[in-house]
Amino acid sequence: MEIEDREEIGGYTLLRYSWESAIEPGQFAMARVAGYPVTFDPFLARPFSYYDHDSETASLLFEVRGRGTALLDDARDRIEVSAPLGRGFRIDESRGPAALLGGGIGVAPLKILSRRLNALGVCHDVFLGFADTRYAAVAEDFPGASVATVDGSAGIHGTVLDAVPDLERYEAVYACGPNPMLAAVKRAVGDRVICQLSVEERMGCGNGSCNGCVVPVRDGGYVRSCVEGPVFDAEMLAW
Amino acid sequence: MKNDLQTLQLAIELCGIALETPLIPASGTMSKEALGEVAGVYGAILPKTTTPKERAGNPPPRIAETPAGMVNSIGLQNPGIEKFLEGLDDFDLGVPIFVSVAGDAVDEFVALCDCLAGDDRISAVELNLSCPNVEHGGLTFCAGPTSVEEVIGACRAAYPGKPLFAKLTNEGVVANAIAAEESGADALTVINTIPALTIDPESQSVLVRGGLSGPAIKPVALRAVYDVSRAVNIPVIASGGVSTGTDVAEFMLAGATVVQVGTISFVREPGEILREFSEYLDRMGTTASELTGAL
Ligand SMILES: Cc1cc2nc3c(=O)[nH]c(=O)nc-3n(C[C@H](O)[C@H](O)[C@H](O)COP(=O)(O)OP(=O)(O)OC[C@H]3O[C@@H](n4cnc5c(N)ncnc54)[C@H](O)[C@@H]3O)c2cc1C
Ligand SMILES: Cc1cc2nc3c(=O)[nH]c(=O)nc-3n(C[C@H](O)[C@H](O)[C@H](O)COP(=O)(O)O)c2cc1C
Ligand code: FES
Repeated sequence: MEIEDREEIGGYTLLRYSWESAIEPGQFAMARVAGYPVTFDPFLARPFSYYDHDSETASLLFEVRGRGTALLDDARDRIEVSAPLGRGFRIDESRGPAALLGGGIGVAPLKILSRRLNALGVCHDVFLGFADTRYAAVAEDFPGASVATVDGSAGIHGTVLDAVPDLERYEAVYACGPNPMLAAVKRAVGDRVICQLSVEERMGCGNGSCNGCVVPVRDGGYVRSCVEGPVFDAEMLAW
Repeated sequence: MKNDLQTLQLAIELCGIALETPLIPASGTMSKEALGEVAGVYGAILPKTTTPKERAGNPPPRIAETPAGMVNSIGLQNPGIEKFLEGLDDFDLGVPIFVSVAGDAVDEFVALCDCLAGDDRISAVELNLSCPNVEHGGLTFCAGPTSVEEVIGACRAAYPGKPLFAKLTNEGVVANAIAAEESGADALTVINTIPALTIDPESQSVLVRGGLSGPAIKPVALRAVYDVSRAVNIPVIASGGVSTGTDVAEFMLAGATVVQVGTISFVREPGEILREFSEYLDRMGTTASELTGAL
């Protein structure tokens, strides 16, 4: 895919490329730098939630963590990106208000989700937690969002859960972030309301073939987060 | 879509089974969900290894990337033979279906062969001999010729009349291959993943202890295919590190009749590999069936 636009937003990088087909909120793509016939090191593609899309383009927002993301950050012309993968957020239009919780780069799927909720007329609030003010700059893309930072350099001093004044008010909670944050959200929400979590596991193939990306489930055993997830009903997970 | 010329160019016969192409998916690397992408690419379908009872598999992390490959320790996660057979029709792409099985004792392999023997949806069985044999202190069924003979001899009796493949690991592969042929295997799949380890230096702990696969192991697999095909008179099915159409050609030149596509399918469409292989055959003015062992 040709890169149409590249932007740095606070601590994150946004890559936009042509993409015309539908994307469901919470779905992800496997992305890698282009190479002939493929790059051997790094060898595997990396999973990224879709950050945004319109009728002609899709975009990914990412944080440089290791070598795969560092190379994507250097890419200027082309990247290899898969079609939309996985099972995203499942929205029950009759349940509102909803709370959207993003921890760090976990903000990524919330923009498309928020837009879908608006289209369906589900009122909702967005809460975002970051390490510091540099990363929190992306919150400008989420008008009206409440922000927390771990170092207190922007918004409330604390975690994303500290930014939610009354969690009890919400009938649905949708969250994405590091797995420990998701486990904390699950505990805080309890089983009273709809709670869906977008989990982060290492992935090999992204299409269900390798069984590498599993999460433990309540009934015992493991399920693949790339096809059965990445968004799970919190009650299903054995966390 | 393949035209008539390509059909002739790519067709191959394996143990009396006509295959439209010499590529098949390596067991454990292609799910039902990915089948849509491979119609017309593979000459046969080979799902993930099935065991007698359901296996949950190993706790994560199960995979770690390495240069030109990955180390996996999935732990044979599978629903067990009964559920597997209930869902087998999902793998029907109109091409032959091969089934991979494994047990942790000889009688488990035999029980699996019994289950499959009467099922006419299945064209052949591949015995995955890389798993530990609990009766032999956890050494694999590939530990040596005696162990190979014992399990294949027993399975041969339980699975008469249709092709039986033995999938061998790299270690001791030539001696094991000769033993497998003598005890009744119809073809040999060579090789499985190679024992490997990855360490996370930050947390100072083992990341994944498992098997290495991908382009990194291609030269090792090529050597094994070459040596084995010179030591036995039954077909060799190559597995290990294929990533391009010319890799397929190299494995066939080394002696393979068909070639399994594994880890590379996580990062490339298998159809591209078939297209490259077909281009290679065009360029050389030859066909797949002429290539095997044509060194
Ligand atoms: C469904 C899904 C959606 C995602 N969406 C986004 C997104 O929108 N934006 C974004 O920036 N990131 C996202 N991620 C995370 C992203 O995939 C990883 O940051 C990326 O794979 C890291 O690659 P790398 O080569 O830079 O790092 P590596 O060199 O692979 O790893 C760097 C460090 O991170 C650790 N690590 C790598 N992957 C994981 C993992 N999955 N879980 C825990 N630790 C890990 C490694 O052990 C290492 O210490 C998503 C992950 C998933 C599963
Ligand atoms: C994630 C993964 C799962 C695998 N599962 C199985 C399996 O269930 N049974 C089996 O016989 N081989 C299994 N293998 C081994 C492959 O079938 C193949 O022999 C090996 O990966 C080498 O080929 P490759 O380099 O083309 O992947 C697995 C390999 C991988 C990477
Ligand atoms: S990443 Fe391979 S099964 Fe999910």
